[in-house]
Amino acid sequence: MARARSPSWRGIAGDPALLGAVAAIWCLLLLFVLFPLAHLLERAFVDEGRPTLAPLLDSLADPGHRAAFVNSLILAASVGVLGTAVGFLFALAAVRAGLGRRWLTVLDAAVLLPLVSPPFTTSISIIFSFGPRGLISHHLLGLTGVSAYGFWSTAIAETLTYFPIAYLTLRPILAAIDPNLEEMAFSLGGSRWRTFRTVTLPLCVPGFANAFLLLFAASLADFATPLILAGNAFPVLPTQAYLQITGLFDFKGGAVLSLLLLVPAVMVFLLQRHWVGRRTYVTVTGKVGQRSRSQAIAPWMQVVLVAACVAVATIIVYFYALLLVASLVAAFGADYSFTWRHYAVIFTEGLPAIRDTLIIAALGMPLGGLYGVLVGYLIARRDFPGRRAMELVAMINYALPGTIVGIAYLIAFNDPPIALTGGALLIVACYVFRYSPTGIRATVALLQQIDRSIEEASASLGAASGETFRRVTLPLIAPAFFAGLGVVFIRSMTAISATIFLVSISWTLITVRILENMTEMALGPAAAFSVFVIVVVFVVVAGLSAVLARLRTPTAGAAARSFLGG
Amino acid sequence: MRSLRCAVLVMIAWLGGFAAARAADLNVYTIWPENYARPMFQEFEKQTGIKVNFLRFSSGEALARVIAEKNNPRIDVLFGGPVETFAAGIKEGIFEPYKSPSFAKLAARFKQADGQWMAIADDPLVFMTNGAFLKANNLKPPASWDDLLDPAYKNGLQMADARTSGTAVTRIFSVLEVFGRDEDKAFAYLKRLRQNVQVYTKSGGGGTLPTGLGQAAGGIFFIVDALETKAKGYDVVVSFPKEGIGTSAEAIALIKGAKNREAGKKLIDFATSPAMQAKFAEYKVNFVPAHPDVKTDPALAEVLKGARIFPIDDEYAGANRRRIVDRWVKEVLPAQ
Repeated sequence: MARARSPSWRGIAGDPALLGAVAAIWCLLLLFVLFPLAHLLERAFVDEGRPTLAPLLDSLADPGHRAAFVNSLILAASVGVLGTAVGFLFALAAVRAGLGRRWLTVLDAAVLLPLVSPPFTTSISIIFSFGPRGLISHHLLGLTGVSAYGFWSTAIAETLTYFPIAYLTLRPILAAIDPNLEEMAFSLGGSRWRTFRTVTLPLCVPGFANAFLLLFAASLADFATPLILAGNAFPVLPTQAYLQITGLFDFKGGAVLSLLLLVPAVMVFLLQRHWVGRRTYVTVTGKVGQRSRSQAIAPWMQVVLVAACVAVATIIVYFYALLLVASLVAAFGADYSFTWRHYAVIFTEGLPAIRDTLIIAALGMPLGGLYGVLVGYLIARRDFPGRRAMELVAMINYALPGTIVGIAYLIAFNDPPIALTGGALLIVACYVFRYSPTGIRATVALLQQIDRSIEEASASLGAASGETFRRVTLPLIAPAFFAGLGVVFIRSMTAISATIFLVSISWTLITVRILENMTEMALGPAAAFSVFVIVVVFVVVAGLSAVLARLRTPTAGAAARSFLGG
Repeated sequence: MRSLRCAVLVMIAWLGGFAAARAADLNVYTIWPENYARPMFQEFEKQTGIKVNFLRFSSGEALARVIAEKNNPRIDVLFGGPVETFAAGIKEGIFEPYKSPSFAKLAARFKQADGQWMAIADDPLVFMTNGAFLKANNLKPPASWDDLLDPAYKNGLQMADARTSGTAVTRIFSVLEVFGRDEDKAFAYLKRLRQNVQVYTKSGGGGTLPTGLGQAAGGIFFIVDALETKAKGYDVVVSFPKEGIGTSAEAIALIKGAKNREAGKKLIDFATSPAMQAKFAEYKVNFVPAHPDVKTDPALAEVLKGARIFPIDDEYAGANRRRIVDRWVKEVLPAQ
């Protein structure tokens, strides 16, 4: 063993803090990612103790499944490109358009709306607005025979739902680009466009890649939106896998279909690593001068930018206004008399779900934030054996469709030795390992911009690796920490696809109640629950940013503040 | 500070999922929507003092969960849901046979011979159409399966997906009965009907709200969901085809390895007896009682008057379900 030691082995052996952190992360990944995945693979490829490829071949032979596979890729790529573009638009407007604080808050609030509500609320609003009798398509535009189902409505709904992820990824990166850099390009005679193209855009490349990856994976795994909007002409894999399991009781087929999703997810991930990994994007060098006001964007362009953002924000606000109305009228579409009844229902019959959801979200939030930053830091900054494997494994639960994660957890943790189903711990774990990759990617992207010399300075002054992490790196990556924290909290309040299988008699969730209410035609309580979720998340996010503002974290204060919506 | 420590301790106990304090309770997955199931469970608690902890799932999800939990069951009773879900459950060996005192009185189609499941209600299918749509297109409410093929309904019908919904399976077997179980003729009809279908929904009631709102022209639903839509104030019309339409028993079953077996049996006793089924009318739950001693609510009987309704032969359906659903997925779904 000893002679085979590479430098990284020696590095980790001589650093107890690093060794402990790596070992702890691996234990958690083994338990909550690989162990359930192994159960799933066994389900898919082992038949009565013998390995078999028959289910896989059956799936590939079915033209419907092949179409679903291709559709999934088309949809995910479209949502990735569209969402990254819209997210960049908003990030650019927020950072470079010279908006006042109050305007920024309004913009942030509108952007956060889709993030803080269950995904299918956008879908329901789209159906109400664009169906054959839709509020917009029929009553406003007088069109008839419009279909609200298919590729475009799904792609648009997913883009509107997920572009905030791109915004949250790109904004701190844009904010971290020292305007002095652009200033220098000007003073060297570059035009605004040339500066944008050769300075600003290239510095955003890691952000673009990360945003695209996150959106691609989110769309690939999303089942709620296509379930409602894709209709029957545009089947996608997560929905097919879900139908295979819950409808045909075919665990094997469902497991195989969702494992097919891993292939494109892993490919995009490796591509992104290969592409981003070769360049350096250091802009925080520890020698930042006085910040100058950015001149990077022409005044007329700023107006166009803001107008485009306002247009998108208006659509979002309209969708959610519809939701608010539905929560306050007796029966949407039939009886528009005002009533508080639906809110009375959710605070009596729905109270256990509210209580459980809040406890689970409050627990998952700090754990998820910490886990995200720690893993992100380890894979971006430290050298140890199995670093790449860790990076890959940490992404698995995010890339897999939620249905399959839920089923895998259910199978793996129902029986001894590790019987966890029925308790809150499993739901919290599911959220942490499924939604922290946002925090991980944000940490990695941020660290790629921060010069290593800052940490090396700390180390050369005698600080241990733990102390350097705590006192130097952590403050620098605080925005990523709070992004991760925020995303885990938000997802704990809004996600459904995996946890629908993990709720139990003793622990239930608001989102599951919403879906149930929708299926039993109780649109009022469903809308009231959604409004409640949105309000709670807004209050928590505002509270977080207030705390953050008071802490005045050295370099990250401004970025982190804006991150969470002013 | 002490109160904080207390709170933390309480929370830890809670997180472990300790349900010791609830030993006397009963844990149930209900396939009936909550607004139908909740009042029934409240009546049960009033009469027996046993509290029912319940969660609602659509039939496919409920079954998938019970199967996944087979080695360590989390619930005692599976409540409500069309009988074909229970037939699938028998094959997985998840039920424990139990015959309640009502067993002898129930008609043959309302019980499984060994007591694997028993019926608690009967639920016929209906056609439901949007009133404003009918008026605008100068149509009468559909009174024949062929009426649904009218081009006026093009891209206008919503009904359930056979992969997830018991409603859909009952619908397809209705069509098979109408065509004398001639599968080729039945599938030819289903393919023509496909041309008028806007979308197949996940759950059986999924299309009721769109129909109420006029987003869909109509569809085929269980009567309980259709009448609920009407009661909410939506402009919908319920009608029946002259060739006849199927009805499905709603069932209940004891889970094998249930931790609260005796309490579970009490719930089955209650649900299969007039004690519960006489309450349908009071709570405006429009199921047809399965127990012969309970009279159907007069308002519901009025709707059903003159309708030709036939039971789905669950032996035939059970034996052919998988094959028929597969054929539907392969032939009907893509036939557009």
